[in-house]
Amino acid sequence: MTRCIHLLLALAGTLLALPAMAAPLDRPALIAQLCGNAGAMGEAGAALLALAAAGSAEDRGWAAPLAKALIDKKLACDDTGAVLGDVDAVTRAPRTAPDTARTPVLSLKNRAVFETADAALALRSAPDTDQRAAALRTLERRPGSLPEGLLDAAAASESDAGLRTQIETLAQTAALNSPDMAKRINAINRIAETPSRRALTQISALKADPAYASDAGFRQAVDRAVGRIDRGIAIGDTLAALYNGLSFASILFMAAIGLAIIFGLMGVINLAQGELIMIGAYVTYLVQEALRHLVPALLDWYLVLAIPFAFLVTAAIGIALEASLLRHLYKRPLMSLLATWAVSLFLVNLVRVIFGTQNLQFETPFYVTGGVPVIGDFIFTWNRMFAIAFAVATLAITWAVVRKTPLGLNIRAVTQNRDMAACIGIPTRRVDMMAFGLGSGLAGLAGLALSPIYSVNPQMGQNFIIDSFMVVVLGGVGTIAGTVVAALGIGQINVLIEPLWGAVAAKVIVLLMIIGFLQWRPEGLFAVKGCRK
Amino acid sequence: MSKLSRRSFLQASGLAAAGLASPIGMPAILRSAQAAGSVKLGCLFSSSGTMANLEGRLNYVVKMAADEINAKGGVNGRTVEVMVSDPASDWPLYAQSAKQMLQQEKVSALFGCWTSVSRKTVLPVVEQEKGLLFYPLHFEGDENSKNVVYVNSPPASSVLPAVDYLMGEEGVSAKRFFMLGSDYVWPRTINKQLKGYWKSKGIPETAWKEEYVPFGFSNFQTLVNQIRAFADQGGGQPIVVLTVVGSSIPDFMREFANQGIKATDIPVLGLDMVEADLEGLDTSKLVGHLNCWAYLQNAKGAANATFLKSWADYVKAKNVPFKGDVAIDPMVSAYDAVHLWAMAAAKAGSFDIPEVTKAFGGLSFDCPSGYKIGMTAENNYVSRGVFIGSVNEKQGFDILWQSKDTPKPVPFSPYG
Repeated sequence: MTRCIHLLLALAGTLLALPAMAAPLDRPALIAQLCGNAGAMGEAGAALLALAAAGSAEDRGWAAPLAKALIDKKLACDDTGAVLGDVDAVTRAPRTAPDTARTPVLSLKNRAVFETADAALALRSAPDTDQRAAALRTLERRPGSLPEGLLDAAAASESDAGLRTQIETLAQTAALNSPDMAKRINAINRIAETPSRRALTQISALKADPAYASDAGFRQAVDRAVGRIDRGIAIGDTLAALYNGLSFASILFMAAIGLAIIFGLMGVINLAQGELIMIGAYVTYLVQEALRHLVPALLDWYLVLAIPFAFLVTAAIGIALEASLLRHLYKRPLMSLLATWAVSLFLVNLVRVIFGTQNLQFETPFYVTGGVPVIGDFIFTWNRMFAIAFAVATLAITWAVVRKTPLGLNIRAVTQNRDMAACIGIPTRRVDMMAFGLGSGLAGLAGLALSPIYSVNPQMGQNFIIDSFMVVVLGGVGTIAGTVVAALGIGQINVLIEPLWGAVAAKVIVLLMIIGFLQWRPEGLFAVKGCRK
Repeated sequence: MSKLSRRSFLQASGLAAAGLASPIGMPAILRSAQAAGSVKLGCLFSSSGTMANLEGRLNYVVKMAADEINAKGGVNGRTVEVMVSDPASDWPLYAQSAKQMLQQEKVSALFGCWTSVSRKTVLPVVEQEKGLLFYPLHFEGDENSKNVVYVNSPPASSVLPAVDYLMGEEGVSAKRFFMLGSDYVWPRTINKQLKGYWKSKGIPETAWKEEYVPFGFSNFQTLVNQIRAFADQGGGQPIVVLTVVGSSIPDFMREFANQGIKATDIPVLGLDMVEADLEGLDTSKLVGHLNCWAYLQNAKGAANATFLKSWADYVKAKNVPFKGDVAIDPMVSAYDAVHLWAMAAAKAGSFDIPEVTKAFGGLSFDCPSGYKIGMTAENNYVSRGVFIGSVNEKQGFDILWQSKDTPKPVPFSPYG
């Protein structure tokens, strides 16, 4: 029964579409246009789009691969026409492109047209439901540029019920300028359901419409929609500010937590901390490359699989550094500062000589790609979420290690009173070494967490060193809680100031605020009782 | 080893770096060339610091050009020797290295600087020492020194044609502009000129917005939010004019793509974006974003094929720590610069800087870009062609548009 109705609808759709295709499609002419200049290509793109709405099934099937071929630069033009992969673009008979063939490049304007045309053709004729759903998502971005009848025809022939509802919803949204007042009001309500600044601009423009003055129902619908969108945007902006602040804070925290152990607990001003972060990122890269060659199936999970490697390698470097260099300099803080600076220069140049100066190429697994729009203009991006989750996990583990393990107990004991700790039999030398290893390992984890967000190159460590010292000093040297609160504070304040006075001012203001705060409370937010000196 | 050189050497690299950096030719500055009959050229490009990945490769391209000249018998019967320094992306150090090269090494010409701020620090030195600096970057203009050859283009023949293209029917009919730059002289001057230009076209002040970030800025989350909000206000097609430099470029592009903004929604015109900035990025999400330069790697023609082949061969033969299959505009401009200098010196029959300067008028060279670039006696600017590139999936740029010929360079902008 339902199938019968579908058939009837499809038939009706074809009949309705018939008048639009008075002339049969001139295929060679269309291909010639596709190989023409930017203007001709634009016309061809518009023709493809019209074809998607009103062309015969056969023509649509023929045209389906064309737009995609242009986008992917797979169409080779020569004197006699064009070659699509290994077949002739017009006849689809096997043919190879001559060496003299050229591949047309889409201008930006035409690219938008061809993306829409490709999605429109796919929505009508792609065999796979997922492909059609993806096509619909592309079309949703530009409801204004769709030809009349496209969505109705697509809805009529759609076999998947859920997708059909989505197409009908989009069709209703597109009816904003329809002559039918009920459809218009319906469209307004539909648009207001997904509030954004773009929707607000679109709906606000209707206040200039003659119907706004004459039709009370229309006016009410517009006003209600504007109010609703305004609320949505306000909520979205608040959430976005919180999320941005939190994600920046998680980055600051990851950069600073290792230093909080090394500088905070041990009192070593480690200027090589940024380079340890950089090495963590390079270890992640090496794990990715190893997986690529050994187990390509697991490549997407390299970020997770690299966690132990990033931690252990940097921890080992830290321990080696402590054992060979810094243990001799504990009594001379200035010398340890210079020594770690030399180490940082050494590490930068070592990596530069081995890997070169260019940014490393990281795969972006699905769990750190893109984001979902939530409400208003707030987009929940997965790479930032990954950093936040990673920071939370790191915080939990660090806290557990320092508070709940014998090692943590020893570290705290040595921090509070080194001589007394030694007297009761704590091996202070070994505790120093382990603490330094822990701090370095945490820096390595920071490098891993930051690689989906920032560019990874030998210089990257320098970006983090000032920020991490800022966080550690503000938090109160040596407290994990202080590090967390300071990172959250600096991150949030930065994000709030940036849109108001710009990024440069934000940086200066935050620095001044920290200086002011330290004048008032030199020990930072959370003071630790008893220091090693 | 002189006292001065030892000090700058220490500042540039630190003792720890010295051993490892030597393959990059760091100590070359200390090696006083005694070889009789050679003429010295100096390079002022950083091999360390934030600009290392970009500037570092220019040292090698200058050496490659010198090798080409030497293979043809040198200039005026003398072989060309290239001295390299490392100002470590530290602006005052450029001036110091320049002074040292001019006073102690007596170089006949300097090739160097990338950022405008480094050029500005070197400028008084070359003027005082009566040296000659070839500057290979496109830049903000508004400067004309007889001691500097501006090998690349001022905004009138690079930025304005690109912005014109985007505002035109064939481009995207851009109506609104978000200017985002690093906070220093080049972005600020370019944006000032652009604002003047738009004003002259009758575009209202509400149609643009200007934001600056500190050097090395990487957290672009809120700024991309601002760009989205700006674009959604309606009022015509928005574009981003991007003048951030160095590592901020890939960080911005990554965040832009990750928030789901495509080039067909809001195109970015990256004025300092070169092929090397795309290394490491997933460019399939960035396809369509734009840049404008006097050379793109995909330029057609035999001159480019020859250049790309010699660079690939040179990288292989000399074990250069950069990719042999990536060429960027400043590399080609530095290469052009060495050849222009050699032609001028040959024409003058002398290496004296006043004589060489006098010989500039009427010089022309077949640039790898495919254009015949030329100099006039009027000023030290070089007329170059203009390309607009569009990011492709393969971390390169497709040529979207190129100028018919080489526009006459206008040093001082009427719009600033």
